Order: sequence, then structure tokens, then C-alpha cells
Amino acid sequence: MRDAPGPGPDYDGPTYYDRPSLKPAPFNTTVVGGYIFLAGLAGTAQMLAALAHRARPRGFRRVARTGHALSLLAPTLGASLLIYDLHTPQRFANMLRIFRRTSPMSIGTWVLMAFSGSSIATVAGDWLGRVPGLRWLRPVGRAAELPAAVSGAALGTYTAALLSATSTPLWAAAPRALAVRFGASSVASACAALSLAERQADNHRTARDLDTIALAALGVELAASLACRRRWRALGLHAAEDTPAGAVLMHGGADLVGTAVPMTLHAAALAAPPAASRRGSALGSLAILAGSLCLRIGVLETGDATALRPRESLGFAQPKNLPRR
Amino acid sequence: MPVTAEGSVQTVHVHPRARDYPGSFLDGVIPQEAELTCGTRIEPGKSYGFFTDTTLCIGCKACEVACKEWNALPADQIGFTGMSYDNTGGLSANTWRHVAFIEKRGPTGTRQTDQAAFQSGWLMMSDVCKHCHNAPCLEACPTGALFRTEFDTVVVQQDICNGCGYCVPACPFGVVDLNPLDGKAHKCTLCYDRLKGGLEPACAKACPTDSIQFGEVPVLQARAEARVEQLQQLGVAGAHLYGAPEGEGATGGLGHLNAFFLLTERPETYGLPPAPTRPANRVAPGLLAGLATMAGLAVTALALLGGRR
Ligand code: SF4
Repeated sequence: MRDAPGPGPDYDGPTYYDRPSLKPAPFNTTVVGGYIFLAGLAGTAQMLAALAHRARPRGFRRVARTGHALSLLAPTLGASLLIYDLHTPQRFANMLRIFRRTSPMSIGTWVLMAFSGSSIATVAGDWLGRVPGLRWLRPVGRAAELPAAVSGAALGTYTAALLSATSTPLWAAAPRALAVRFGASSVASACAALSLAERQADNHRTARDLDTIALAALGVELAASLACRRRWRALGLHAAEDTPAGAVLMHGGADLVGTAVPMTLHAAALAAPPAASRRGSALGSLAILAGSLCLRIGVLETGDATALRPRESLGFAQPKNLPRR
Repeated sequence: MPVTAEGSVQTVHVHPRARDYPGSFLDGVIPQEAELTCGTRIEPGKSYGFFTDTTLCIGCKACEVACKEWNALPADQIGFTGMSYDNTGGLSANTWRHVAFIEKRGPTGTRQTDQAAFQSGWLMMSDVCKHCHNAPCLEACPTGALFRTEFDTVVVQQDICNGCGYCVPACPFGVVDLNPLDGKAHKCTLCYDRLKGGLEPACAKACPTDSIQFGEVPVLQARAEARVEQLQQLGVAGAHLYGAPEGEGATGGLGHLNAFFLLTERPETYGLPPAPTRPANRVAPGLLAGLATMAGLAVTALALLGGRR
């Protein structure tokens, strides 16, 4: 069960019969990875909706409405996935007994609550605000836009802090880089979803704007991905490279499909005339969405692998790796 | 026939044979029995823990058995792990004490030749939840099921836990675990129920060599330091504490471990991390970096969206 030595100063001290020194998170990686992806998409879609609305209230009306609609993914499918992953799901409401600031899971629960409430209000304003007798929903929806955007920004990135605030080596090793990576991936995924919707409506100019934002986000994501990888290697955490799931999800999925391919496609599409760029942009957007999901599942999978490998967990928990104070 | 002990409200059921020995009947539970068994008075508001001195451990696993019996915990696995005499394997939802068996071997993997003849090269160590001062499992728990008791121990309230599982990766020692059958997290309670009744925890009471000592944490810490000194003088150069305040095992903001150990080898030998950290210290950096990324990209987006025409 010993791992092939990788680059970097790897741990070669004793272990207890090579048995794990940590327990991996008992999360279903597909379910929780799916939630992290949806929360990121929904949260940042709401943030982008508010920004678009602010930039040009009339011209970007449809983007804003689509963003509001996408935000519903969090309170519906996203929350269902979270509850499904509990091992005693009928006690879901116990999450609302307390607020604990040392627990990103607790913080995230309340962020999701705030986001869900305000997002439902923005959608209600859009969909029912013209119905006679329900016109009061329009100002309510508009007032909900700011809280929805702010909680959405938090929803798009708190999941990285949730993973970092554990003892799982891969997650704990690079809290900042992981948060940047998750945040940027969330922004890219929301841009991709909104861009697809705009292309569907033949609104290529807005789609190009969204693709440009996605390109910027992908650049940030790529940089953070390199920072993560550097840190993991330096700490002797190789699960992201030498487990089959890790290699496929993190390299093939997150880095290649999720950033390199769409960056190329989007850049090419932006260089071409608006209508001609349609297919490349749509393909790029789909790649972003797939890559964003792969990133989350990949980080969960490979994190669990580092928890199960005593050489990686004991090598990580060495005095030389303690945070300097 | 149920026998009612005088002066106690409860009916005590005893084995029929036991009635042949009336002298063995206790008059109900002895109040503050721990004073008799380990010289410790158990009072709310004080800090209690274990000092596990591995140099005294003989690997009898009485602690494992006592824990299973008192807490009615089933066996984890029936079979061989294929390593040493340890078929327990490790701590889990159903195993709250685990005796590690390590046969010291030289660099070639054979018995060390510099060892005295007829001496065993065994290291034995009874592992347990550390009842951390800044307990990562407790700090991660989003329902408040994990709480700090009046005895300064860390316990999962089974009627509140919803099985989110977040405490499991939070623990730096791989202690707390979910039971897939009931969907809740489980770990050592430091015999919360026994402490309430003035009883020494089952493992410590059963330990025949006093390798597991129960008591007030400051008292145990002083005793442990004296023991290290004594061992050092006897020539056990490697003797040191794991989990003393800010020391090995209690690094990175954990403070100290209420259940701490005296080890003679480096902690990794027993599967323990030498320098664990407090996960809660990573909450702020993670959240702030994430929000800063969002803010930066939001400004970029606003510039791009507003810039056209
Ligand atoms: S050792 Fe693990 S389970 Fe025990 S108190 Fe510390 S964090 Fe919690």
C-alpha cells in the first residue's frame, strides 16, 4: 500500500502498520461535490444578476432574471443534496439550533438560509410582480437583490473554508488557494450558465460580456490551481496526482476540461465576430460547467485519499509544517 | 427474586448465585466511589482526564473490554488484521479504547540484536479520544450535539446528532466516527454517566497496572512530569509526554489534551500525529480569501458590463 515516492521531501518515518491515522470525511463525494457545485453556481449567478442590473438596468434585464432563476438551484436541488447526505436526515432542522462561528458548516447553513429567502424574493418579484394584487412583490424583490448577492458571494466560496477547517491534509494544506480556486470556479460556472442562456436567446453581445468575465475568472482559477499544486507537492501530498480518481478529476476534469479548454475556446470565440462565435462559446461554457463539478468532486475524493494514507497525514502533521506565529 | 438494597430507591437485580455471598452486596452505589478507586473526588466544574502511561501497559486489553461492557458496544470486526496481536485495528464508532501493539524491530526488520535476551520488544499503548482543550470535533459540530460537559470532557449528545459527519474529518487524531447503522457520531464519553455517579471511568478502573490513570488534569499533569523525570533517570531516554500544554500532540492551537500520554518512541510509531493543528484557525483565512476573490471578480465584472457603449 506504500505510495511511489514523488518529488519533494516525503515522509519516510514510522507509521502504525501503515494503517490510517485519520478518518476520511463520511461524505458521499458525488452528492456533496454536486452541492458545492450548485451552491457556487447559484450563489454567483445571483451576484452577477445584481451586478448586471446595476450596470445597465434595462439592457441586462434578461440576464438578471436568468440569474435570479438560477439561484433557485440552491434552495431546491442543493439543499436536497445536503439533506440527503446526512446520515440522520430527519434531523436536518437540528442545524438551526445554534450558530457556531468556528464551524463553516454552521456558518454555511445560515448563509444558505439567508440566500434562499432573499433569492426566492427576487424570483417572486420577477415572476409575480406583474400580477394584479401582487405588485408589492416587485419592490420586495428589488430590495432582496443586495442581500441575495452578498449571501450568494459567500455561498460561492464558503465551501472551501468548510473543507480547509478539517484535519484532512489536502484540504487543510492550502486554505487560501483553495478558497480562491472555489470562488473563481463558481464565478466561471455562473457566467457559463448565463452565457448559454443568452446565446439561446440570440443575445450574443451579452454572452460575449459574460464569456469575458468567465475568461478572467478562469485565469484566477488557473493561478490558484497552480498554487494549490505547488503547496501539495511541497508537503508530500500526492493523492491528487497518483490516485486514478484524482488524476482524472483534477487534471483531466478540473484543469484541462474546466480551465484550459474553455479558455482557448472562449478566447477564440471572442476574437471571432459575435454570431460566428456561437458554437465555440457554447462548448466552452459546457466545459466550464463540467470542469467546475469535477473540481469539487476531485478535491473531495483526493482529500479523502490523503486522510487514508498515513504517510501523507503523518508527513503533513510535522512540526515544520506548523503555521508560523 | 429482586433484592432491594437498603436505603436506595432502586431495585437491584442480582445473579441467583450472588445471593450465596451476601457480604459482597454493596449498599447501592458508593457515593464518590472514585475516591476509593483512584483518590479522585468527581465534582462538576473541574477538569478531568486520563494520563495513559504506556510504559506500564501490558497489552491485556482490559480497558477495551471494560469500555465495551460498560457502554454496551458491539465488536467491530471478527477476524485477523494480519498485524501483531492487534485485531481491533483502531478507534471507531464502536471501539473507544484501542490497545496498539508494536514490536520494536531494527532497521533490517528483524529483532534488534542490541536488545537484552529474554526481554520483549513490545510497545503497548491504549489509545482513546483525547478530549482536546480546543476540541476540533466540537468546534466543527453544526448542531451543538457535541458539547463540553461540566467535567471539561467532550461528548456527543445522541439525541441531537444528525449524522452530518463533519466532526469526523475535523478530529486531528482520527477518533470520532459515524455508525452507519444508527447514523450518528460516536466516541469515548470519558464515561460521562459514571462521572455523574461519582465513578471512575470503566477503562481506568479496570486497568490492572494503572497505565490508565484517571483524575483532575492538573494533578495528572504534575504526576506525569514526575514520571518522565523518573524514567529519564532510569535511562529511558525517549520518555516524553504527548498532549501536555502546547507540547507535542497539542500544537497548532489545540491547547492541551485532557487525555494525554507518556510515550517512549516518536508518536508516529503509535500512529499519532506529532504536530496536529486546530482546524478552526483556518476558518477566517479561507472565508476571507474566498470573499476577496468574489469581490475582485465582481469589480472586474462590473467594469466589463458597464464599460460597453
Ligand atoms: S481527539 Fe478528536 S474526537 Fe476527541 S475531543 Fe479531540 S477532536 Fe474530538
